[in-house]
Amino acid sequence: MATIEIQGLSKHFGDVVAVDDLSFSAREGAVTGFLGPNGAGKSTTLRMLLGLVRPTEGTATIDGKRYPELAEPFRRVGAVLEADAFHPGRRARDHLRVLAVAAGLPLARVEAVLAQVDLADVGHRRVKGFSLGMRQRLGLASALLGEPDILILDEPANGLDPEGINWLRQFLRAFADGGGTVLVSSHLLAEMAQTVDDVVIIANGRLVTQSSLSELAHRSRSGVRVRTPQVETLRDALAAHGIAAQLVAADALVALETTAEAVGLTAAGAGAVIYEMTPEHFNLEEMFLELTTSQGASR
Amino acid sequence: MKNLIRAELLKLRTVRVFWAYVAVALAGVPVSIVLVMTGSPGAASLDSSEGLRNVMSAASSGALLVLLAGILLMAGEFRHNTATTTFLISPDRRGVVAAKLAAGSVVGIGVACLSFLLTLAIALPWLASRDVEVSIFSRDVGVVLLGSLVVTALYAVIGVGLGALMSNQTLATTVALVWAFIVESFLVGFAPEIGRWLPGGAASALSETPTAEGGLLPLWGAALLLAGYGLAFAAAGTRLVVRREIT
Repeated sequence: MATIEIQGLSKHFGDVVAVDDLSFSAREGAVTGFLGPNGAGKSTTLRMLLGLVRPTEGTATIDGKRYPELAEPFRRVGAVLEADAFHPGRRARDHLRVLAVAAGLPLARVEAVLAQVDLADVGHRRVKGFSLGMRQRLGLASALLGEPDILILDEPANGLDPEGINWLRQFLRAFADGGGTVLVSSHLLAEMAQTVDDVVIIANGRLVTQSSLSELAHRSRSGVRVRTPQVETLRDALAAHGIAAQLVAADALVALETTAEAVGLTAAGAGAVIYEMTPEHFNLEEMFLELTTSQGASR
Repeated sequence: MKNLIRAELLKLRTVRVFWAYVAVALAGVPVSIVLVMTGSPGAASLDSSEGLRNVMSAASSGALLVLLAGILLMAGEFRHNTATTTFLISPDRRGVVAAKLAAGSVVGIGVACLSFLLTLAIALPWLASRDVEVSIFSRDVGVVLLGSLVVTALYAVIGVGLGALMSNQTLATTVALVWAFIVESFLVGFAPEIGRWLPGGAASALSETPTAEGGLLPLWGAALLLAGYGLAFAAAGTRLVVRREIT
């Protein structure tokens, strides 16, 4: 059993609040997409989870323990936080040998992971001759050395070609289907939409939403964009009828999971003036952008 | 801990820059011997105890390169982002730094032993050809051997500590070279009352290298002083690495 639990996590770098009272969890047997624009605090959160950065407040645990408290962390958790974390002059196989020796793993694991990420033929080459895609896979090989049941990946699709992204998706799918826990960050939902089961969306260090992908997709299909001078009045009225709405501009909001009819009736009841009303069929990516930018604008 | 030390040694062995450092360290031995043997007329006669120690002190000529290897061990992790994985494998960062200090000392002792053998191999036949008789079991040879072991191992420790304190490998390497070749060699040579208190002054004292002004510390004092520098760099470096946020 392996679950990741983030509870009230905050990180301040001087006056900058990188992560702000963030709570979410990732379950086993699922791929959890950790999504948000660049600078939203994703990397800082992952680094706090792995004991590399000290939280200002809150906790981040794996099976109830902080990462440094795990008995053999490298055998429980495999993480790739940087696309390029290798000495360029070291051969790929030697890089993995160093890690295996440090973690007390048999050297046979080195050959196993090289084969697993399709790098067996180039293991003797120095990393400086590797493409970005090859480096990503070598990073993944490093994470897999200890046969972990949890994978934590920070923007693993950066720099991958479509073929590489496809390979990564299938890999993560298979890992989760085998009972593993995957937490994977990205600034592009589209990149991950075909792979993830659950999504955690953050913006400006705060949680925007956590839900399953299907729930998010359902919500996203039935939005209504409304232009009105009384955004707050209408939002409150909608809320009273159990309809969630996001303010997206000074004179516009998006009512979620609802229909134009329902919004029109509510607006009439509340006496709100409406200039414009458009049922919107968002795709997931637009939904993601709405969610993250409206959160940004409200701060 | 044993695994971590083995991993640190493997890290060094699998990059070419380390072997370049070792090669330059060993190349320093013949250079140093040639400089002494063909040295200035005013220097101590090769027949004398001082003259012999001067020749044999070539055994510690690789110390500075070992210090650079220590910087490579620690600061190289930050330069190439490998610190992340290193600390994921061992969240106990004290253990990581301790392993680096141990690995650096092993390298230092290894380089010192090779340098010593190389010194004997070059100097003994050369001295014999000049009709200088040397017993390799003499006190002078023993002092230089022990001194070079201590100096080179402690220089590795200082290197790891410096690498942790500065964390920028290029900067730390430049600082070490400028310090050793310009600041220290000037102070040890021309102001020994200051120079004797510096790591380089202590290192010279440990091979009982005679200086013009003769102002260096006695053996035991130099050994304590250099060990103190090693301890200070190691402790300050460890403290910084433990507190550091790996972003």
